[in-house]
Amino acid sequence: MSFRHLWAVIRKEIQHILRDRGTFILVLITPTIVLLMMTYALSADIQHVPIALLDYDQSATSRSYIQHITAGDDLDLYIIVGSIEEIEELLTRGKIKAAVIIDPGFSEDLLAMRGFSLQIIIDGTEPESGGFAVDHIGWRTEAFANQILASQFQTRGFALDSIQPIDLRIRAWYNPNLKPRVDLVPGLLSIVLGFPALSVALTLAREHEHSTMEQLLVSPITRIELLLGKMIPYIITGLINVIIIPLLAIVWFQVPFNGSFLLFFALSALFLFAELSMGMTIGVFMRSQSAALAASLLIVMFPGFFLTGIFFPIASLPEMARMESLFLPGTHYAIITRGVFLPGIGMDILWPSAIMLTVIGLSFTGIATLFFKKKLA
Amino acid sequence: MIRRILSLVKKEFIHLKNDWWLPVFMIFGGALELLMIGWATSRPISNLPLMIWDQDKTAASRNLVISLDNTDIFDLLDPVESMTSIEDSMDRGDINAAVIIPQGYSEELSVPGGEPVIQAILNGAESIPAREAQRAFEGVIRDIGEKTTIKHLGLNPDELSGFDFSLRVWFNEALSEAYFTTPAELGLMLEFTILLFAALTFSREREFGTLEQLLVMPFTSLEIIIGKSIPVILVGMIDFSLMLGMVHFAFKVPIRGSLPLLFLLAFIYTIVELGKGMAISIFSKSQHQAFLLVFMIGMIDFMFTGYAAPVESMPQIIQYLANIIPAHHWLDILRGILLKGSGLMDILPSVIALLILGLIIVYFSFRYIRRALD
Repeated sequence: MSFRHLWAVIRKEIQHILRDRGTFILVLITPTIVLLMMTYALSADIQHVPIALLDYDQSATSRSYIQHITAGDDLDLYIIVGSIEEIEELLTRGKIKAAVIIDPGFSEDLLAMRGFSLQIIIDGTEPESGGFAVDHIGWRTEAFANQILASQFQTRGFALDSIQPIDLRIRAWYNPNLKPRVDLVPGLLSIVLGFPALSVALTLAREHEHSTMEQLLVSPITRIELLLGKMIPYIITGLINVIIIPLLAIVWFQVPFNGSFLLFFALSALFLFAELSMGMTIGVFMRSQSAALAASLLIVMFPGFFLTGIFFPIASLPEMARMESLFLPGTHYAIITRGVFLPGIGMDILWPSAIMLTVIGLSFTGIATLFFKKKLA
Repeated sequence: MIRRILSLVKKEFIHLKNDWWLPVFMIFGGALELLMIGWATSRPISNLPLMIWDQDKTAASRNLVISLDNTDIFDLLDPVESMTSIEDSMDRGDINAAVIIPQGYSEELSVPGGEPVIQAILNGAESIPAREAQRAFEGVIRDIGEKTTIKHLGLNPDELSGFDFSLRVWFNEALSEAYFTTPAELGLMLEFTILLFAALTFSREREFGTLEQLLVMPFTSLEIIIGKSIPVILVGMIDFSLMLGMVHFAFKVPIRGSLPLLFLLAFIYTIVELGKGMAISIFSKSQHQAFLLVFMIGMIDFMFTGYAAPVESMPQIIQYLANIIPAHHWLDILRGILLKGSGLMDILPSVIALLILGLIIVYFSFRYIRRALD
């Protein structure tokens, strides 16, 4: 490999990028804008979920119960209805996310310590707000029932102040309030950084499409020089983002960054290499930019979004999907980013992920080089 | 005019024939991708690695461990004997949660008035599984605690109990995860397919310099736009039908509302996204730019489909923004018709919003494209 040749290809690619200034700006700013928007929208805490109440009991206790469960910021009393049909209509129109039905006998059962039942109805089409409503209605109901039970215990002479003897102390490490943004920002990095990196598939396909590939190949540049030369400018633009984005995450989103920045930078370069080598393999096989684009979307991006453990835990994926996730650079990079950002771990723990990224990068570069030769022979 | 449009459509199809990868990929790829991703993610969260440090080692502590195991969301790892092992595994991200049962747990639990402390540690680096684990811990502890109290008081379990609620999930009685995930996944893939196809329409011609050729031919700009639109609409609708079939037959998501209404609205949505995509394609100087713009816009739109977080809980300014995102209204419509059996009247606000947005987007794209073409 000659560095003069390599440099020539890099210069050519940089010239291309700079001539097409719009593209350059997009490659540079897309990750930041998408991350900013996604995090901002995805990281809000759920609040003010509108619920309806249907009170068949109509007692002082049931009224104080209604007040109790809608006292906070989590659940908002949308309306007190008189019939189940009204609930149905409100749910269908999406005006409420959940409804609580207080059965007749609610206060009687509760005061007699007989246990009581409630009906909770949630909108099954919206998992997040539905699950949230069930949790919060449950907690608030429990607290309310405990208050009443405790006072009943006292009047009956039991020396108990709660029905619950076990003191469960839950602590969340690295992210004490379980704020989604704290783990989403590092997780989403693989998506926002990976996508512009895939554009290398387009630049290769572009040479095919414009029939300039032949010209390049009769020049004394070797194939590996050509491929590396195409990659390096995108690694550089990617790395600029690797500096911008943590700054954004720390300053704007207040995500803690506990690890070593140098390590993060180095492993990000490795991730970009792996992602770019996948992009190149696609570029070698696809003859047009549009096909390269569709392929990178289907092969790298969609799976990278859903199967790399950012939204859905990898442990819960079926065996086959878990296998596939091992071949996605994003899976390993998500482990790295979360590890470096939150527990602040180092290479002593992260080496398997680093090795996997290297293996993915080298194998795809190998495949690209190999088939590149064959395709043109 | 129709003949001229047809000849343009034919030209587009000749082009697609030479580049057959693209339509095949997008039509079948999208549907297959939906099948795979839907299959992988439409299941409850389970199998979360849980580490237990049982310092008590009694029947009561084992009972607690069994109850945790019975929740079906954990994968119990071999028990450990030190905090260091927990810290280490947590740092490595090997476990999602850990539970420490203190020595004397059983004893404290057996005397009335005793208050044993159970420590649970969640791995906050993955907040979604952490919250799931938290729910499970709370449920298990509540059960055990209440049973214990009842025993201590010598009461009949039927006589005293905490509350127990019956949960009914409307529109999704069996709590199928596919109901939540697949419509949004369908929405994402449909939007990307249409945007991508539309975005390539002019950017390719421009990159190759063939746009001028097209312009000197005796076509009006309206004819060019229509001719370019028809293949995109066709691909979009085929893709939608395939994916809808997938969602319905493979994932058993019901179609409770009117199918013709759904197709009509899908058609309108396709045209709205087409307008957006064509504007991108005129704006972009190259296919590469179009590609990046599609990614940016598609990803931002995806947030408003309610896949990862409900729009209602987003910051106020983002909620205002949601109103001008066609995908947001489209998902309301899609979920409404599929799952709630909504009629036109139920989803009227979303339909009107989609129509207004559509008119604005299509009108401005059209003017923009015409000006660029003339």
